[in-house]
Amino acid sequence: MIEKGRISGLELALIMYATVSATAILYIPYITAQHAKRDLWLSPIWGSLSGFLIVVIIVILSRYFPGKTLIEYCELILGRTIGKIIAFLYLFFLLHDTSIAFREYGEFVESAFLHRTPMLFVTGSIAISCAIAVHGGIQTIGRCAVLFLPIVFVSYVLIYIFLIPDLNLKNMLPIMADGVLPSIKGSLAPHAWLSQYSLMSFLLPLVTKQQKVMKWGIVSVVASVLTMVLMNLGNLFLFGDILINLQFPVFEAARFVSVGSFFEHIESIIIAVWVLGGFIQLSAFFYMVVLGTSQWLKLPSYKPFVLPIGFLIILFSVWTIPSFEDMIRGMGTTVPYYFLTIQLIIPSLLLCVAVIRWKKPKSFMQ
Amino acid sequence: MKVLGILGIIVILLFIFLIQRPGLKRSGKREKIAFFSIMMVNGVLAVLLVIFPEMPGPGQMIDFLYKSFKPFW
Repeated sequence: MIEKGRISGLELALIMYATVSATAILYIPYITAQHAKRDLWLSPIWGSLSGFLIVVIIVILSRYFPGKTLIEYCELILGRTIGKIIAFLYLFFLLHDTSIAFREYGEFVESAFLHRTPMLFVTGSIAISCAIAVHGGIQTIGRCAVLFLPIVFVSYVLIYIFLIPDLNLKNMLPIMADGVLPSIKGSLAPHAWLSQYSLMSFLLPLVTKQQKVMKWGIVSVVASVLTMVLMNLGNLFLFGDILINLQFPVFEAARFVSVGSFFEHIESIIIAVWVLGGFIQLSAFFYMVVLGTSQWLKLPSYKPFVLPIGFLIILFSVWTIPSFEDMIRGMGTTVPYYFLTIQLIIPSLLLCVAVIRWKKPKSFMQ
Repeated sequence: MKVLGILGIIVILLFIFLIQRPGLKRSGKREKIAFFSIMMVNGVLAVLLVIFPEMPGPGQMIDFLYKSFKPFW
């Protein structure tokens, strides 16, 4: 095992929560609202199906091959050549996904705050600070998650507590006016985001108490789905039908806060706090790419590759996405299928082959 | 402008190399090969992106591959 550090179950849940939800609360409401309209808060609930399914698949696979990540057991299950190819596909996807996450961070910070700063500067500076965390190993990221995420949680809750006088519960009605279909159509993006739980396979071997992994995984999925549902509901109560036109509803909600006309403009605090969550997300992604690459090449250490791969991620974030409009359009149409094919079909295929070819592990369901 | 961009990339890559040099000296041959191939990919891709900023990338490939799924939704 390359990584010497270990994390607890709680840290696993928090890291995965940040990996999925940090950008989900920013981008998903807009994309979902295009299809689901008033029912957008139902979509993450449909989306949770793929989250739960993937957590179960990944945990069972880790029971078959304890102490190994997806990249490693890919080769064991499918044989050397095919295994390497599939692992490379997954790794390339991971690099692509990471660069999309960096771009999402950059686009948000730029459109909210730093209008005139070049994107490369925003993404590059967070990449350098993430590189320091990744160089410190998984324990650093885990401790950062435990330190920072409670603050992020509190800030999310505070926005909507300050907005209680402006919330109009009637905006929610009528529920499912056009049947279930619009909310299912809108669930494409939540499906894609929650399918990112397949990345948990990189962290599972590092958890100290292996018996409780399933519990923490499910807790993490439930937490991110609840966050999405509550955020969507809060935005819906506040904005009603104009929600469809708002690109960052959470940010607009924070801008809306005004208590006694002296407590205003808290959006700057909210973004400063959100960046903490974004930092955990990006470092976790970055760490997984670096660890996956060194496992794919069977190297004894991952530390020399942190900076070169960071550079590659920044290059990809410029290369893969031409503009903000393209990114949003892609997230609503083609990118979710890509996420689902790689993250749902590859692990299920691995599981099928493993069930047929390998003996059932002794510590199967503890 | 493009020359400056390429110079900047070379400077950044040199920096990365200088930072990692002490660690690389101690590491094995496989690591050195892997390190330099990733740096090579970095350099080539970065220079290409400076010269042709509109170069189609993986994003377009995904659009092309999954375009046919769109009507189902």
